[in-house]
Amino acid sequence: MSGRLRIALTKGRLQNKSVELFEAMGLDCAPVCSPGRRLIHELPNYPLDVVLAKAPDVITYVEHGVCDLGVVGKDTILEKGGAFYEVLDLGFGRCRFALAVKKDSSFYGTYKTRRVASKYPNVTRTFFEGKGMDVDIIKIEGSVELAPILNLADGIVDIVETGATLKENGLEPIEDVAQVSARLIVNTASMKLYKNEITDFLSRMERELEGEA
Amino acid sequence: MNIRINTPEGTRDRLFAECLERRQVQSALVELFRRRGYTEVITPEVEFYDLFIQSGNPIPQEAMLKIIDRSGKIMVMRPDCTAPIARVAATKLKHLALPQRLYYDQTVFRSGQAHQGGSSEIAQCGVEMIGAVGVKADLEMVAMAVDALRSCGLAQFHIELGHAGFYRALAGRMNMPCDGLERLRGAIEGKNFALLNDLLEPYRGEDACAALRRLPYLFGGVEVLDQAQALAGPCESLDHLRRLYGELCAAGYGDYIRFDLGLVHQLDYYTGLVFRGYAEGAGGPVLSGGRYDGLMEQFGRRAEAIGFAVDVDAVGGCMAVEAPRLETVIHYGSGLLAQALAVVDSRPAGSCELSPCRTLDSTMNLAREKGAAGVLLLDAEGERWLTV
Repeated sequence: MSGRLRIALTKGRLQNKSVELFEAMGLDCAPVCSPGRRLIHELPNYPLDVVLAKAPDVITYVEHGVCDLGVVGKDTILEKGGAFYEVLDLGFGRCRFALAVKKDSSFYGTYKTRRVASKYPNVTRTFFEGKGMDVDIIKIEGSVELAPILNLADGIVDIVETGATLKENGLEPIEDVAQVSARLIVNTASMKLYKNEITDFLSRMERELEGEA
Repeated sequence: MNIRINTPEGTRDRLFAECLERRQVQSALVELFRRRGYTEVITPEVEFYDLFIQSGNPIPQEAMLKIIDRSGKIMVMRPDCTAPIARVAATKLKHLALPQRLYYDQTVFRSGQAHQGGSSEIAQCGVEMIGAVGVKADLEMVAMAVDALRSCGLAQFHIELGHAGFYRALAGRMNMPCDGLERLRGAIEGKNFALLNDLLEPYRGEDACAALRRLPYLFGGVEVLDQAQALAGPCESLDHLRRLYGELCAAGYGDYIRFDLGLVHQLDYYTGLVFRGYAEGAGGPVLSGGRYDGLMEQFGRRAEAIGFAVDVDAVGGCMAVEAPRLETVIHYGSGLLAQALAVVDSRPAGSCELSPCRTLDSTMNLAREKGAAGVLLLDAEGERWLTV
């Protein structure tokens, strides 16, 4: 390391929110906003390099220590797991994991093993294991809402923001599985080796977040 | 027939510089361990599955590579070196006077998740000191951990000390159910401040709460111990760490020592001092160890024990080792083998080799193909250097 930290941001909405937060902290994010062809963006007024990645890759980069820090949703953390420090709840990107079923159907009142479709099989497994309940889990890559409509599954575990998509498709959330928001994660070795640099960054961030709240 | 030419995921062929890295680290460590009075133990690569369940070291079942033997018993490829060594020390070595100092240089096998870039074969070099307790025993171990990484040639590293007793004492003062405490421990281990705050919110009135809330921040230099004391009150484990630090400083090891009181992994296993080594260039700990005074009893002999293991390839990856380049090919005439070998043996390893060719022309071609600088011709008239 050359005295600069490297952070991986989840592309898309979390990236925009992160940049807003950074700018509020006084970091000049111009290189990230107009990226051009470069893949590593060096901030001019703070020793931080920014890379953009898909959510699960943020975890991979941080776990392997090629990025010291990362901003990633709790949904990805719950699904993928891994060894890193999860130091801050950034408060944005809020939504929740919920169990949703067809409107007016009964999910629990039966001896028949239930079948649940999800993009997040690990989150689903952990949730039902916690209840001591056996379910069949089916991994779906696209629109999960389709599975109960086609009678492939009795319910789905998915991310819910407003519930509008569920409602349109005749589904309703019946139980919260987990709350989700963006988190700041830190590589375990970086935290120890670059304590001063990381603490400085963290406390600036915390101050800004507290200010907002 | 199609020949399979790939190796299974998590395994790899190590070639040239990677082998040198590994061997260089191993020989530096082994040399140190032997000098400090440790003797080698080699245990089987395959052991009974039950051994590792018995040891109380929580290696997840799915991380062990299993084999069913002819009688139907479950065996595993050794996932850890400490449990087998405790087994040996508690049984075959039970008549030897304590303390026993043992070292190992072997591979452990752990199957990780697919496509994570991890290795299932981890070369470990480590030590166990059995039957010694107290400041001096811990001191010897920590000093050796520093010397171990130093002897490998690492420049930027430190050893971080924690104590299982500190968290235990705090948790013991909390009026919290077991599963709550386990979640609390997980939040501290993962420095998950948000979750930790949520978990502690209902307990804010309890006296240990403030200290637990700060626990993940309590890492860094020796000032951490005073901060911890201010939060938690006087405590045996902090005194122990302070005494260790004083002695380590007096012996010149102080610059390498840091603290993390949030080191709360594997608490059913570790009973006292715990430590980890971090080096610039590695994304995780390169050394880890601690005191596990309850382990030997699982194998029928009461004895305290402390040890550590170095992740050999993680250390090797922090060093820049280059495979030697071939400089010279030797073409020698009949009856001159002894002279030719004398030249080879006098050169740096890998920089010089004999040509098996009959004619000088073939040797020149060979030298060109292999990228050597030239050919050393040894014949009845003496030696001559021919540039390629």
